[in-house]
Amino acid sequence: MSAILCWFANSMELETQSLARGLRRRDPELLDHLIGQYQFRLFRYLLYLTGRREEAEELFQETWIRVLERGYQYNGKAKFETWLFAIARHLVIDMLRRQKSPAASPASLDDLGDPGEGKPGFEPANPSSAALIDLLAAEEEGEHVRAALACLPAAYREVLMLRFQEDLQLEEIAAVTSAPLSSVKSRLYRGLAALREKLEKDHGR
Amino acid sequence: MDDNSHERVERLIAKARIETISPDERLWLDRHIEECARCAGLSDATERALQSLRSVTVQVDPELVKRTQLMVRFRAHQLEGERAGMLPVWVCCALSWILGIATAKPVWRGFEWLGQHAGVPNLVWQAGFVAWWLLPAIVAAAVLAFHRPESGRAGL
Repeated sequence: MSAILCWFANSMELETQSLARGLRRRDPELLDHLIGQYQFRLFRYLLYLTGRREEAEELFQETWIRVLERGYQYNGKAKFETWLFAIARHLVIDMLRRQKSPAASPASLDDLGDPGEGKPGFEPANPSSAALIDLLAAEEEGEHVRAALACLPAAYREVLMLRFQEDLQLEEIAAVTSAPLSSVKSRLYRGLAALREKLEKDHGR
Repeated sequence: MDDNSHERVERLIAKARIETISPDERLWLDRHIEECARCAGLSDATERALQSLRSVTVQVDPELVKRTQLMVRFRAHQLEGERAGMLPVWVCCALSWILGIATAKPVWRGFEWLGQHAGVPNLVWQAGFVAWWLLPAIVAAAVLAFHRPESGRAGL
């Protein structure tokens, strides 16, 4: 059994190393493939962070340009999506800095979105806004979830999405968000409780 | 059952899904949930919340993907052009270093001879030699810094 696990681990490492070599060469075919392969996951991540289609689309493009320009920085030791989401996150933070006034400029997405640590939330996005709701699949169940997610701070949405939709490990989430493991856990616990409470309240109406 | 038990259950329900819990904790949790309707409801609500979260899907405009692929290819082409344009600079840098090393000894002697004839202290003509030797490297570094492919991007 351990031999099989080792074999899988080696295969994955070979794949990420091959990916790293392709990114260093700026292989256009590889980049086309990656853009297609990760389109939903990356767009969903950007959507969860920004709550706005236009910004998510703009950042989607900027993220891949950055992947092209900084491909030499990916060493293949971690999963590609971890590195990809970290790039996207930095671009979201840059965008937030440009949007806010210099006096109120946040140091990071963390400062904006974690009310549990005594900081004001960046959002929530206006629950009645069609911006976030329009973007997601029109399913009856999904509508409740969309509305509930829109009410959560961006930092909670982010970790919930990375943990329960991307199935990243806690350490990987910490690497993407550049946050301590304890902060990631804290946001997950609070985010899950808040989401559950909101959904139960909506179902109870 | 006291409030502490309920608090512990609430924590374990979340922990089981966010992290992992030990077999003993799992056993304790399952037993408590069997006996406590309130906590069973909480466990079900948590599971429903996660299932709902996982059910959310996202629509991506296919045109966005095509535009992005085109933009990336175009930028890759630009970067390749910039890289090719830098080749003469790198070649000059290499030649400069090679010539510098090859001529170091005679140039040192030249500075020494000039220094002695001008009557300047050794430190002065030695500093002059070092400055002359470093000058091509400084110029090359300035040229390379000026021609960096990216500009104005913060973050990674």
